[in-house]
Amino acid sequence: MSEAAKVLEVRDLHAGYDAYDVLRGVSLNVGSAERVGLFGPNGHGKTTLLNTVSKVIVPRKGSISFMGEPLAGLSSRRIVERGLIHVPQANTLFPDMEIMETLELAAFTERARGERKANLDYVLKLFPRLAERRRQQCRTLSGGERQMLSIGVGLMCAPRMLMLDEPTLGLSPKLKEELAIAIAGIGARGMPMLIVEQDISFVLSLVDRMYFVDHGEIAREIDRGSDVDHQEIMDMYFGEHAAP
Amino acid sequence: MRSKLDTKALGLAALVALGLVVPLVVEDTYVRHLFIISFIYAVVAASWDLSLGYAGIFNFGHVAFFGIGVYATGLTAKLLGLDPWLAMLVGGVAASAAAALVALPVVRLQGVYVVLVTFAFSQLVLQVVISQSVVTGGTQGLVRVPTVELFGYNFLRDYKFGYYYVAFAMMLVAVACLRRLVRSDFGLSIVALRDNEDYGSSRGIPIAVQRLKVLVVSAFFAGIAGGFFVIYLRVASPEVFGFSTMSLILSMVLVGGTSSIYGPVLAALVLTFVSEGLANFESLAEGRFMLIAVAMIVVLLFLPKGLASALPKSWKERTAK
Amino acid sequence: MTADTISAVFVSGIVLASVYALMASGLSLVWTTLGIFNFAHGALMTLAAYVAWTVSDAAGLGLWLGAGIAVAIAAAVGAGILMERLIVRPFYDHRDILLITVMTTLAAMIFIEKGSQLVWGARLKQLRPIVPGQVNFLGTTISAQETLIIVLAPVILGLLWLFLRNSRIGRGIRAVGQNPNAARLIGIDVSRLFIITFALSAALAGLTGVLLGSVRMVTPAFGSEPLVKALIIVIFGGLGSLGGTILAAYLIGLLEAALIFFIGIYWAPSMIFILLIVVLLVRPQGLLGKVVR
Repeated sequence: MSEAAKVLEVRDLHAGYDAYDVLRGVSLNVGSAERVGLFGPNGHGKTTLLNTVSKVIVPRKGSISFMGEPLAGLSSRRIVERGLIHVPQANTLFPDMEIMETLELAAFTERARGERKANLDYVLKLFPRLAERRRQQCRTLSGGERQMLSIGVGLMCAPRMLMLDEPTLGLSPKLKEELAIAIAGIGARGMPMLIVEQDISFVLSLVDRMYFVDHGEIAREIDRGSDVDHQEIMDMYFGEHAAP
Repeated sequence: MRSKLDTKALGLAALVALGLVVPLVVEDTYVRHLFIISFIYAVVAASWDLSLGYAGIFNFGHVAFFGIGVYATGLTAKLLGLDPWLAMLVGGVAASAAAALVALPVVRLQGVYVVLVTFAFSQLVLQVVISQSVVTGGTQGLVRVPTVELFGYNFLRDYKFGYYYVAFAMMLVAVACLRRLVRSDFGLSIVALRDNEDYGSSRGIPIAVQRLKVLVVSAFFAGIAGGFFVIYLRVASPEVFGFSTMSLILSMVLVGGTSSIYGPVLAALVLTFVSEGLANFESLAEGRFMLIAVAMIVVLLFLPKGLASALPKSWKERTAK
Repeated sequence: MTADTISAVFVSGIVLASVYALMASGLSLVWTTLGIFNFAHGALMTLAAYVAWTVSDAAGLGLWLGAGIAVAIAAAVGAGILMERLIVRPFYDHRDILLITVMTTLAAMIFIEKGSQLVWGARLKQLRPIVPGQVNFLGTTISAQETLIIVLAPVILGLLWLFLRNSRIGRGIRAVGQNPNAARLIGIDVSRLFIITFALSAALAGLTGVLLGSVRMVTPAFGSEPLVKALIIVIFGGLGSLGGTILAAYLIGLLEAALIFFIGIYWAPSMIFILLIVVLLVRPQGLLGKVVR
């Protein structure tokens, strides 16, 4: 892959909380219109990686560049302005705000405001359920609806790349299927994506390439074309916890 | 270890000895007065730290407990003719009773609710004192409170010589009790509860009961101090419930360092002299409170553990626990 | 009790309630957004009233009243922004931010109060009314200024509500209060909105100060006295909801007026405090609130 084609490039990233190191030299990249998966056991740094890229936490060492420009010293807001959008884990979003208010608000930066109408139409078409419940408060939404709204909020930010953190956490197989279709649809529009997932079959169905994160490092990179099969990945994942 | 303890004991003994000789050296009534007032404030500040610092209860009603001590003692001594010594005890008991009453909502509430309820409580007491002007003197204050005697010795004599020692003894006893308390199992349990409620309650420490006890005990000291305050000054004013008194004593706790007994005591001495000293300049009678406010903010910003944290480390280690 | 007395009690209750509603909504705005209680809110009212007096009163600069009001509100906003910068912002990441800011804003209150006494002296002052004269309101004669307060309070609060509900910045303020991290991830500059919130709340305090300053005597404790009641109202309303806070302000204002009429001016506040404690025992989340924070 040529340098210019890399949308996101992370090099030797170190980060953590207080005295505790979570990331110990992570390097990865995402190409244009590429969908990349991040998987690995809980607590090994996947969410921390996204938080560091979006500057929710400050990196200790290493570099991050987005569309060829370094992100060092930029605040979360500047990164959102550039179109690198982090959709955090299914949280409560803004519990006392209505769906429509939340979506309209999410087009907060100047660039996003310019695309507000088009993006809103797209989100409501992608998730018709949000359109049906437009006046409903976030706190009253089901888990699936919250996930849809979270992704919708990310799309309203006028993304040039999306980072999704476990978009199907705690959802039923049927809902997972529904979200997988929606995410594949977003990807089909050429959106580069970095997707953190625990559900291997889900992530395999969506991505072109995967990184296996273990103990704060990239333990392995797996191309779709490579002959790593499903069983091998399962072994990798559960390896250290001993097979049943 | 041994020598560390010895130096500390020696230091304390030296301070006590110093306190004992002050009236022999200092003959000025006003300076003696400042010492007496600072001993009283020291008790209020140190006992406040028991609930605010050690137990982590967001208690902003402590000065009201002090005020209740002031009025309970003043009124029983003046109107019921109770012996002033006994009346001081009444002050302590009344403050404790009030604390038990406040604890009723406080032990069930958290965070900002505790702040607001205790604030509202001080205002409630203030309103009651003002409204019952026939008894309390209202905004004019309580005047002509009887003075104490001991074996025929009238404390009004000898330029406050006697008062000095009573105040000093009261402070020593209070500090000794509070120090013992915070180092006892009870003291350790309230700190454990402050730092981790779940941990404490999982170990079977009854959180509500412990908080109730802390409030009642710390209020008792404040009440006794209030009792002595009114007997010594012979007047009481509803200003003891005001924001100014509260900020003065709070600044002592903060400057001295929360979760410390000696710290607020030392801070009370220093700040009383500073603030009363400034009060002598006519232009600073009110302005000194502005300086106290600034001091509070500066300490919170730069020295969150109190002024002691600015001292050299070796000194700190020697005085710590 | 005649219809006249009922009307008199009602009208004086509405005046009180309007002032409380303006104060409490300013407090509530800062509470919901920053999670702190500003004990200096009343002191900002005092500051504004004194500044307006200095600019407009004949004994001061004697300028047009409108200039006084404008300068006063600007002064309150300036002081509010300064407070946010100096004594609130340094503690945003602190575990005990609530407790610490209670103390720092308390210190700020003392500072402003004593500073006002130093600058303006202890003598009572009163602002010229914006509208002079008397008005017959529901059969009770009150000053036109009080009528203005009664009418203006719901208008201002309605505008505040519209701003928070529909404007981009207003929605941003709500979002930051509900989930600052999620707000950051959609590109909201959280600390900028904190300042705006503080400034807005200070503007409300300033406005309340200049409105009340021609009805009551301005003293250094002018704003701190109703502050405690405004705090109680915020609890009654259930911390965090603007609607609940405003409703609680009107309930408490009317209740206080009735209590003053029936049991006297001295006992009325005590009854309200006792009521507060009882309410908190029975419903710790406040009379109208839904969540405990």
